[in-house]
Amino acid sequence: MDEVALVAAAQRGGEDAFAAVVRPHLDVSFRLAYVITGSAADAEDAVQDALVKAWRALGRFREGEPVRPWLLRIVANEARNRRRSSGRRVRLALRAAAEPPVVGEAVDHRGLLEALHALPEDAQAVLTCRYLLGLSERETAAALDVAPGTVKSRTSRALDRLRELYD
Amino acid sequence: MTELERALTSLDVDWPVTPAFDLRRPARRRAWAVALAAALLALGVAFAVPQSRAALLRVLHVGGVTVERVQTLPAAQERPLASTLGMRVSAAEAEALLGRPFGVQARLYRSGDVVSALLRGPVVLSELRTGVGTMILKKLVGTGTTVRYVRADGAPGVWITGAPHVVLAPELPPRLVGNVLVWVRGAITYRLEGKALTLDAAQDLAGLVRDR
Repeated sequence: MDEVALVAAAQRGGEDAFAAVVRPHLDVSFRLAYVITGSAADAEDAVQDALVKAWRALGRFREGEPVRPWLLRIVANEARNRRRSSGRRVRLALRAAAEPPVVGEAVDHRGLLEALHALPEDAQAVLTCRYLLGLSERETAAALDVAPGTVKSRTSRALDRLRELYD
Repeated sequence: MTELERALTSLDVDWPVTPAFDLRRPARRRAWAVALAAALLALGVAFAVPQSRAALLRVLHVGGVTVERVQTLPAAQERPLASTLGMRVSAAEAEALLGRPFGVQARLYRSGDVVSALLRGPVVLSELRTGVGTMILKKLVGTGTTVRYVRADGAPGVWITGAPHVVLAPELPPRLVGNVLVWVRGAITYRLEGKALTLDAAQDLAGLVRDR
């Protein structure tokens, strides 16, 4: 059953259909919430509460629209509500490399991540969404609650700034 | 895609493991119940271990407040908020009762061990010290009233809304009350009450009530 059919089934009260609709997007939802809240515990609560809201809002979901940006918008709103009181900012870490670093490796991953962390918050957020989470411009716009055009211009400026810091 | 963009895409971030979520008819996280129970146990307050969420909501102890779901509400009248506050007390007397200053600067009142202030809205903010085994306020809710877990200023709490419920307080007759937010922070149980109070407004207010 494709996403449109699953959404329709979920709108008729199908709990299994709802689970099938949202399950593919849980990893990216949780990571987005983690990026926004800076806390795995808060991210977990944010996603769970977002799922409650998504379930209740299914009746207003427009037929044929993709689920992922819609869900990410709800998740991001829940995450921002939690973040406001905590004032935390996430610091991402790299997975420990299975292989020792190659001498003369072209990309200094650790240095790049440090440069990303040094960016202003808006710039870090848009680059994290686009490149670390792999969100599309539309999904990033939904997650950051800005227009798609803003994502494009903000990404361009953030890349320029990152290049300055990284080089 | 530029080289820098490719480098960003190739970052192998150590993401936290995605937890399991309730996906079938999702409900607010059971962890809330666990967190609330843990907070209350830390305060030494009895807490019935829930067999189910429904059972949890039949009798619920939130700090010094007990919420009990009943089939039929006892006879009670709605009263103006200002008439429910008790007698005037000084800030020093309130601090002696609570063990710390009241959360906002206002004219203070006392009913038993409960210290209250009337805020704009009108909304009543009450504070009570949560001692071991203390059960100071009792709330009886009927089937038309909703009780759900919420977070208030980052602390676990409950939001009581819908049909008016009955509150039994020391030295005062039973009365019908509207929407209420109750939460526990440290040794203090906080309570906001207002007929037109919304959850958003209550949570905003809760954020302003801090240790002074």
